Amino acid sequence: MSKGYLAYGFMVLGLLAYGQFRGYSFSTVNEVKNVPRSVRDNPGSYRSVYGSYHHYTGGK
Amino acid sequence: MSTPPVPPKPMTRALNCPQCGAALVLRSMDRAVSIVCENCHSILDAKDPNLRIVQRFEAALGEDRPLIPLGTRGKIRGTDYEVIGFQRRTITEDGIDYSWHEYLLFNPFKGFRYLTEYNGHWNDVSQVTGLPTADGMHAQYLGKSYKHFQTATARTTFVLGEFPWQVRINEKALCYDYVSAPFMLSSEVMANETTWSLGEYVSGSDIWKDFKLPGSPPAPIGVYEDQPSPLGAKAGAIWLTFVLLASALLVVFIADAAISSRDVVFRQNYAFLQNTPGQEPSFVTPVFELKGRTSNIEVETTASINNQWIYLNYALINDESGQAYDFGREVSYYHGYDSDGSWTEGKRDDSVYVPSVPPGRYYLRVEPESEKQFGPIQYSVTVTRDVPVMSLYLVALIALLFPALLISWRTFNFEQMRWAESDHPLVKFNNSD
Repeated sequence: MSKGYLAYGFMVLGLLAYGQFRGYSFSTVNEVKNVPRSVRDNPGSYRSVYGSYHHYTGGK
Repeated sequence: MSTPPVPPKPMTRALNCPQCGAALVLRSMDRAVSIVCENCHSILDAKDPNLRIVQRFEAALGEDRPLIPLGTRGKIRGTDYEVIGFQRRTITEDGIDYSWHEYLLFNPFKGFRYLTEYNGHWNDVSQVTGLPTADGMHAQYLGKSYKHFQTATARTTFVLGEFPWQVRINEKALCYDYVSAPFMLSSEVMANETTWSLGEYVSGSDIWKDFKLPGSPPAPIGVYEDQPSPLGAKAGAIWLTFVLLASALLVVFIADAAISSRDVVFRQNYAFLQNTPGQEPSFVTPVFELKGRTSNIEVETTASINNQWIYLNYALINDESGQAYDFGREVSYYHGYDSDGSWTEGKRDDSVYVPSVPPGRYYLRVEPESEKQFGPIQYSVTVTRDVPVMSLYLVALIALLFPALLISWRTFNFEQMRWAESDHPLVKFNNSD
């Protein structure tokens, strides 16, 4: 069993090393393709999908 | 070249029961002290030429059939043995009877040994040649320590076949069991005589194979006192393996920290002026270059807020391909004082990783939002390329820890089941309710 555990452990470490090398993370990011170049000149022409986020305005 | 000793042919003598006249077979010849008539259950004195009746017992309500019939021959540890006797012994705990079976085996050269069976669990038992030492909790024998399991008074409740001692129904012995799986060291005290024996747990399927018995043995029920844990020594080994893997994880972390560039590719301070009517709040940063392999970036936002929040819609846009990564981050910080004392909530900085961003020329589109009454909010944005992600290490550590915890839990559970039947249960339940 400990041989199996060792193999499993090295698999976990391998996945971790590969993930770190490729820059993986658990962040939620929305990918959008073909954003027009005009956004640089007119930033308001592009609206993020996160624009409708409901903001917390609280405090205790 | 020597030839191995040939087991002798069974030496039997034909006799008849003086009580019922049934034929008796004496298999161990002059070694037998008692012989039990299978027909009328008379216990006879095998040393007496007339087979004096020592005791008779009524077996109608307690008839027991040996799983290994008397006269069956088999090979135990390379030696031929014949089953010559069978007895059931019983202990009573809290008004409940617990019975096990003992099979007496005989070889003319090697003498006697026993097989014991309880709920499908088997032990190969032989008398010890040395004298163990024992205190209340432990016994020592041949350099091995055994832990006390149980002390109980056992009585003989059924007998068949022949025995090298004077058997009696309801004969009592005080039994002490000490275990070190797969071994069990037992002592039996009768009158002024103490007998020590050593048992080793064996599987029923091995017994069936040794004696070439038809069918299959009864399935074991529960965990027996000297049954080796299927996980056994693995619990210790797995924690050693875990330490090795955790060390390897640390090495990966150090190597990752060493090779990660952590280049700050962009940093800028901004002020959000939300009281300018009609002005588009979004803007874009200058183009910055992400070098090297496909890797992550970390976007850090720090805002000078005080009981305020600011929300930033971010888009990391590749200036050449038009590929965009949208994400939103809120930075909020509140504090105050109430009946519970001072409190704070949130913090003035925030960090997010954008995963797997290919190299290229990028810019950020930033669209801040906040409450109008907050007034100007100062904030800064920092973009860092190729940063180690600690949450991945945490997940890896949990993934490494999980099997070790699982094995340990299963090992504890097995041992808890083993010792639940002992005088020293690992978990004590209060049955007073």
